[in-house]
Amino acid sequence: MVLHTVSAGPGLADCLALAAPDDALLLLGDGVYSAMSGSDTAAALEASGLPLYALGQDVLAAGVSAYLLASVTVVDFDAFVALTEAFSRQLNWP
Amino acid sequence: MSRSTLLVFRHSPYGSSLARAGLDLALAAGAFEQPVSVLFTGAGVLQLLQEQDTGSLGDRNYGKNLSSLPLYGLESLYVDEVALSRHGLSKTALPDAYSPVDLQFMQHLLATHDHLVGF
Repeated sequence: MVLHTVSAGPGLADCLALAAPDDALLLLGDGVYSAMSGSDTAAALEASGLPLYALGQDVLAAGVSAYLLASVTVVDFDAFVALTEAFSRQLNWP
Repeated sequence: MSRSTLLVFRHSPYGSSLARAGLDLALAAGAFEQPVSVLFTGAGVLQLLQEQDTGSLGDRNYGKNLSSLPLYGLESLYVDEVALSRHGLSKTALPDAYSPVDLQFMQHLLATHDHLVGF
């Protein structure tokens, strides 16, 4: 069980290629843009079937709240920490 | 007991400082005899091109540095075979110590190392 954190756009494809079904994905920084509904990257996120999370402060900063996929759970830092505790491993994709 | 670490390299060698940081960590871990494996995926496979010539760039040569990782005690060196072919490369382009691996093996690497560090 790996919590993948994607903090830049280009990391997403590499991450999705390796992620296993019991992993989850948390979008940070510029990574939040990849969950904008209707985009190619959003389609890839949905197709992955992975639980999807995005860090709230980065979503707000980017101004993409209204555009996010409905399947994305927006989390605060406390929930981010809880996720890192729930998964045995974490891998950042810079 | 030492905990195992997997380094995941997925950026080209000279476009950012990530390849340098990853190589530094790999060499440091080797020097301290820590159990470290390295996986190259995505554009990271481009770090392994043997024809790199950084003479005019003034940077260090990743192709040469990476070929010598076994000398530093790093022997678990893996390359995403799909990323290789996506970049028009075959396993004959790889230095001797590097093994091409498939998706199942890569997921096994992610699931069995204690620490995962992406570069």
